Amino acid sequence: MKKIISLLMVLMLLLSVTACGSNDTAGSTAAESTTEAAAGSETANILKVQIDVEVASMDPQIATDGTSFEVMGDVTEGLYSVDAAGSPILAMAESVDKSEDGLTYTFHLRDANWSNGTPVTANDFVFAWKRLVDPATASEYSFIAEIAGIKNASAIIAGEMPVEELGAVAQDDKTLVVTLDFPVSYFESLMSFNSFFPVNEAFFTETGDLFGTSPETILANGPFKISAYEPAATTIELVKNEDYWDADAVQLDGIEYQVIKEAQQTMLAYQNGDLDVANLAGEQVEQFKADPEFNNVVAGYLWYISPNQTVAGLENVNLRKALALSYDKAAIVNNILKDGSIVADFAIPTLLATGPDGKDYRETAGTYLSTDKAKALEYYNTAKAELGVDTFSYTLIVEDTESAQNVAQFIQSEIQTTLPGMTITIETMPKKNRVERMQDGDFELGLTRWGPDYADPMTYLDMWTTGSSNNYGFWSNADYDAIIQSAKNGELALDLEARWEALKQAEAIVMDEAVIFPVYQKGNAVMIKSNVSGIEFHSVGINRIYKNAVKN
Amino acid sequence: MKKYLLKRILISIATLLIILVILFLRLEFMPGSPFNDEKLTTAQVELLNAKYGLDKPVLVRFGNYVKNMLTGDFGVSYTISKNTPISTLLMSRLPISVKIGGQAVLLGTFFGLILGIIAALKHNTIWDTLTTVISVIGVSLPSYVFALGLSYTLGFKFELFPLLYSSKLPFESSILPTISLSMFTLASIARFTRTEMIEVMGSDYIQLAESKGISGIHLIVRHQLRNALIPIITVLAPLIVGLMTGSLVIEKIFSIPGIGSLLVTAIQSNDYNVIIAIAFIYSAMYIGIMLLVDILYGVIDPRIRLAKEESHE
Repeated sequence: MKKIISLLMVLMLLLSVTACGSNDTAGSTAAESTTEAAAGSETANILKVQIDVEVASMDPQIATDGTSFEVMGDVTEGLYSVDAAGSPILAMAESVDKSEDGLTYTFHLRDANWSNGTPVTANDFVFAWKRLVDPATASEYSFIAEIAGIKNASAIIAGEMPVEELGAVAQDDKTLVVTLDFPVSYFESLMSFNSFFPVNEAFFTETGDLFGTSPETILANGPFKISAYEPAATTIELVKNEDYWDADAVQLDGIEYQVIKEAQQTMLAYQNGDLDVANLAGEQVEQFKADPEFNNVVAGYLWYISPNQTVAGLENVNLRKALALSYDKAAIVNNILKDGSIVADFAIPTLLATGPDGKDYRETAGTYLSTDKAKALEYYNTAKAELGVDTFSYTLIVEDTESAQNVAQFIQSEIQTTLPGMTITIETMPKKNRVERMQDGDFELGLTRWGPDYADPMTYLDMWTTGSSNNYGFWSNADYDAIIQSAKNGELALDLEARWEALKQAEAIVMDEAVIFPVYQKGNAVMIKSNVSGIEFHSVGINRIYKNAVKN
Repeated sequence: MKKYLLKRILISIATLLIILVILFLRLEFMPGSPFNDEKLTTAQVELLNAKYGLDKPVLVRFGNYVKNMLTGDFGVSYTISKNTPISTLLMSRLPISVKIGGQAVLLGTFFGLILGIIAALKHNTIWDTLTTVISVIGVSLPSYVFALGLSYTLGFKFELFPLLYSSKLPFESSILPTISLSMFTLASIARFTRTEMIEVMGSDYIQLAESKGISGIHLIVRHQLRNALIPIITVLAPLIVGLMTGSLVIEKIFSIPGIGSLLVTAIQSNDYNVIIAIAFIYSAMYIGIMLLVDILYGVIDPRIRLAKEESHE
C-alpha cells in the first residue's frame, strides 16, 4: 500500500508538470485570440500612460501624492479647472460673483451630472470641504483650507469649532456661497485642486469604507470615468465620460495607466508601442536626448541645502554665503542630472506663480546666490576671521536615491576644493528618516526639496517663518515674519500689487541671509509619441491634464 | 504519526506567534513612521497617529493587532493605498504571486529533474558538460538578469511575449516572469539530481535490480530517482522560499500586481500593517512548506517515517 502511495506521489509530481506543459499550448492559443481582440481595439483612441507609482487613494480629501491627483483629476472636476497656461478656468462653476472686499464668493453651478445620473450640487462641495477640515477625517491636506482662507477652517481643524461653522454654505442646489477670513488672491486657482473636489454625500454614505476602491465606488463628473481599478492597481483604465458637460471637447476615447517601476522595461514598452507617454530615468536621458519624441518638463520642486543655524559656525551669515556660492550649479544640472533640471538662483521656482501684472514671478524678481567661487572664498575668509576658526567640518544628510547621492557627492567635492579647510561628510538614509531628522533639528546640513502646493510664492515663503515646522534651519527674522503675516491675511493681502512686491522683498531677505542654499529646480524628461499632442503639464496642483489631449 | 503531526502543527503555530512578535518589535525600532512626510505638521502627525491608534503603547497595539488578526482583520494600509483594508489589498494579489511562484517551481523542478537525469545517465559526455554549464549559469546569475535579458530578447526584439504582466493575458504575460524565476530552481535541482543519481546508480541495490533484469524507465523512476529524491526534496524547500524573495524583484520588473512588489513599496514607505501582513504570510508559507517536506520524507522513504514514529511515540 505504502509503495503504491509513494509511487503515486512521484507520478503525480511528474504528471502535474506535464499537465502544466500541455496547458502551455492550450493557454497560448487562447492568449493569441485575445491578442487579436486587443489589436482590434487598439485602433481606438486610447492614450497609454506610464506612471512610476501606484495610485494611493481616489478619495479627494485623503490623497496626497501627484499620481493620485493626476488620475483623480481625469475623473473629477472642481469649481475650477486650469488651462494650458495654468490659469483657473470655470468648470463645475458656471459663473461666480465676487464681493468687493474679496471675502465672499457666490458660485453658480452648471447643469452637470455625476456618472450615476445624479446632479452635481452645491451640497457636494460643502460635504467634501467639511470632510477636509474635520479632525475626524485627519486629512493630511486640511491645511489647504486654511491657505484658501475659508472662514473658520483653522479653528475647525484645530478642533476648537464644530465643522458646521465652516464658511461654505449651499444656498440652494446650484448656489454655493463661500466666505473667507481674509482675501486670498489665488483662491480661484486653489479651487482647481483635488482637495476641494466635490463628493456626493449620498453616494459616499452608501459606499462607506469602500468609497474610491473600485469602478463601482468612484463617481465621475469629469472628462473620463474609471472602468478598471482596484487599490494599489498596476493598471488603471479610464473611458471617456459621455455625460461630461464638455464631452464634445474630449477627443480621447480613454486612458490606460500602467505602473512600471523598472526604467529599462519602461523604455522597452515605449519603443514597443505599448506606451504613448513614458517617464525617463536620469541615466536614460543621454540616450534619448536627440529623439524628437523627447520632452523636458519643468517641475515645481526646488532642491536646496538647509543649514541648521543652531550648529556652531552655521549661524554666521558669511559662512553660509560662502557655502551657498561655492558649488557649480550649472555642472550639476548639465553633467549630473541631465533631465531638464535648471539652475536655481532663487528660493521661489520659475513657472510657479503669475503676478497681478500677468507675468511669471521670476521674470520680475532678481537672481540670488549664483555660483561664484572667488566671492565664496572672500566670504569664507571673512567668516573665518569672525569666528576665529580655521577649519570646519559638517555632515550633509541626504536621502538614498541615486540622483540625490550623486548631487551630494559633487557638492561635497566642490565645497571642499573651493573652501580649503572645510570638510563635508555625507550621510545617506531613507527619505523618511532624513525628513524626520531635519524636522527634529538633528542635522547640520541637509539636502532637501519642496514641492509647491498652490500657485503662489507663499507656498515657499511660508516655510521660513519663525516656528514653521519646515523651517529646518531655525532661522528667525522679525521683519520677514511681519511681511509674510501681512501678505497672508493682513494689510498686504488687500493690495495685490503691493503684496507681490513685498513677496519679492521677502525672497530677497531669505536669499541675502542664505537661509537656504538653492541647488536646482527639478526637470522631468518625458517621452511622448509624435502622434500625441495636447497634454497639459503643470508644476503645481495636478501635474498632467489630458482633457484636451489628442492621439492621431 | 497523527500525534507527531499534531505536535508539529502546534510548534508551527507557536513559531508564527514568535515571528509576529519579532516583526512587531522590529517595526517599532525602525526609524521613521508612516507619517513623517515633510508636508505634515506635528499637530497633524499626532492626529493621524491617534486616528490609527499608533499613539498607544506598543504592548496595547500588539494585543489589539493579534486580537483583530484572529478575526481576519489585518488593519488598513497607511500610505500605499490609504485606508484600504489589508485583506482587500492582498486578496487579489496573493493568487497572482502564488500562481507565478507555483509555475516557476513546477517548471524548474521538472526541467531540473530531466536535465539532472540526462546528465547522470550520460555521465561524462557532452550532455553532462552542457547540463553543468547551464546549472552554473542558473545558480550564479541573479533572476533579475534573466528577467531583463528575457524581456529584451523574447519580449522586445522578437515580440513573442508581452513585456509586462497584463490581467487581460494572464497566462501569456506570466511566461517570462515564470522562466526568470525558475532558473535558480532549475539549476539547483539539476545539479543535485545529477550528483544523487550518480551516487545511487553506483550503489549495490541498483546493481542488484539491474541483475534482476529491471531496466529502462522503470529502473530510473522506481529505483534510481526515488532514492535520489530525498536530498532533492531537502533542497527544494529552501528553493521555494527563495522563489518568494526572488519574486520581489521579478514582480517589480514585470509590473506584476503580486504581494512581492507590494512588500517592497510598503517597506519604502513604512506602511507597517502591509509589511507585517506580507512578512507574516511569507513566514507562514515557509513553515507550511517545511511541514509538508517533513511529511513528504515519510511518504517517499518509509525508513524516515518509522524512525520518527519511534522517537516521538
